[in-house]
Amino acid sequence: MKSSSELSSSFQVEIEREKFFSGWFRRWIPSTKAKRKEQLWGWLTIAPALILILGLTLYPVAYSIWLSLLEKHSFFPDERFVGLDNYLYLWKDPEFWSSLWLGVVYSWWTILFQIILGVAAALILNEAFRGRGLVRAIVLFPYMIPTIVAVILWKWILNDTYGVVNYWLCALGIVREPISWLGADHIMLSTIIMSIWQFFPFVLLSILARLQTIPPELYEAAKVDGASALRRFIHVTLPQIRGILFVVILLRSIWMFTKFDTVWLMGEGAGAGRFIRTLPVYAYMRTLTYYQAGLGAALAVIMFAILVVCTIVYFGLFREEADIG
Amino acid sequence: MNRRRWQRISKRGFLYGAAALLALQAAFPFFWMVSTSLKPPPEVFAQPPSFVPDEPTLENFQRLFTATSFNTYFRNSVVVSGLTVLLTMIVSAAGAYSLTRYQYVGREKIAGLILCTYMFAPIMIVIPFFILAKKLGIENTHFALVLAFTSFCLPFTLWLMRAFFKTIPLQLEEAALVDGAGRIRAVIHVVLPLALPGIIATSIFTFILAWNDYIFTRILITADELKTLPVGVQDLFHSALIDWGLIMAAGMMITIPALLFFVTVQRYLIRGWGAGAVKG
Repeated sequence: MKSSSELSSSFQVEIEREKFFSGWFRRWIPSTKAKRKEQLWGWLTIAPALILILGLTLYPVAYSIWLSLLEKHSFFPDERFVGLDNYLYLWKDPEFWSSLWLGVVYSWWTILFQIILGVAAALILNEAFRGRGLVRAIVLFPYMIPTIVAVILWKWILNDTYGVVNYWLCALGIVREPISWLGADHIMLSTIIMSIWQFFPFVLLSILARLQTIPPELYEAAKVDGASALRRFIHVTLPQIRGILFVVILLRSIWMFTKFDTVWLMGEGAGAGRFIRTLPVYAYMRTLTYYQAGLGAALAVIMFAILVVCTIVYFGLFREEADIG
Repeated sequence: MNRRRWQRISKRGFLYGAAALLALQAAFPFFWMVSTSLKPPPEVFAQPPSFVPDEPTLENFQRLFTATSFNTYFRNSVVVSGLTVLLTMIVSAAGAYSLTRYQYVGREKIAGLILCTYMFAPIMIVIPFFILAKKLGIENTHFALVLAFTSFCLPFTLWLMRAFFKTIPLQLEEAALVDGAGRIRAVIHVVLPLALPGIIATSIFTFILAWNDYIFTRILITADELKTLPVGVQDLFHSALIDWGLIMAAGMMITIPALLFFVTVQRYLIRGWGAGAVKG
């Protein structure tokens, strides 16, 4: 090791540079004609997809960082560079903090129950029984329908005067007066329940797909050892689904924290919309209700930054699971 | 002996009970939608509510087709979703072929980049997208909508198609090439037929995603005659008195195409799921 540092003459540097560049060229431009042709075709066929993704997804996301430094009306072309003013404004904006808090409340409860219900339902549908295929198909319906349909269904079922839920609760004597499900006091609860209903099938199917690949011998061995159902779940099933669970929790967290349409549509026209004004809804409103595109973009950037930080922390905390998944 | 038998019966009972509950929670809201859409207006608001309509009628559907712009919205939805599927499938089939059949520098990096964009949520893309579309003067066109849907769908369709293409053995193609067929003929006669189930499944996922979209359409489209179904139907709410029978009829008409497609690809669903098929 010592000798190499002593030898670092200009000649040595020259050789290194030669190596580096020839290596670099060889990496990008292959030696034989056939390989060059293959490389060209490879690039040509991926190019349309790459251009679309770069131009229409990555570029807009990068552009929103620039946009967040501008004061810009959403519909008129004039714009003014204001530096970090938008961020400073949000820092002092109570609405921003309340939307962040509401977003965290909404994501936390929906994710928690989606995972619990999704895993439980997957365990049930992994058992053999008659009509399993049918139940599996029906259970996926809520995830497959347009959000607008899911929302109108729930708004109708939860309607305070004519809704079937209130009718039952009153008929069974559980409550004396109809509950205003979409009013200020209950709208968060209603939105959380509705979202769990809509999205837990994703967890269910992801876990089920993994459960079906677990070799049955593992369970038989545990049964012979006299392990109870709970112990079999903890010692056989859980280690097997840890990898997929890691991915599912990550994806669901990202998607629930950025969920716009379900929350926005539940709050629209209900009068109590501001009690479920989460971060994505607030970003939308700043852009298209107050026409402050710069502030809207700043909110989107903050959301993105929070996600990146949380994802890094998540990967750090659960490194082992990341390797399995 | 008796105790074990009793245990087995109670286990079966629990299983069937839980399965029934699962099916019921998913199906009941739909049942209620169908029931409401078939009721005449006075019965919709009847107390106590009737579960099966006393006098089933298609009145709500008739009003939907004649008194609202439903037909326009429906046509727009079909056009936009159809074009999205077409563009997405061409681009992602070519891309997936590239990622599985050619050796070149940066291939795995590109695949990784695509997987990363899979995690981008619509709300983060749509605000800058809207401003950029305004700058280009393409806001309020179906063209912008198709581009937005395509770029949004691409990461997961590419990923899915790549998984399907990987299952097609290379030897078949090589055999065709050795027999003197050109690369393009080998693709058309060997690869595409084998990839067809995957292509169909991916198309349908794309279709459902475009069909169901709310946020991109809400933001990019303001002209009433260009709106798609989800946005058009939401606007039915804006009248003073909410006509629930009409809205439930509209809900059914949006749901039916999506569900029909869903039922046809149900078989591929679990397989595709493993490859990360569905987003939302």
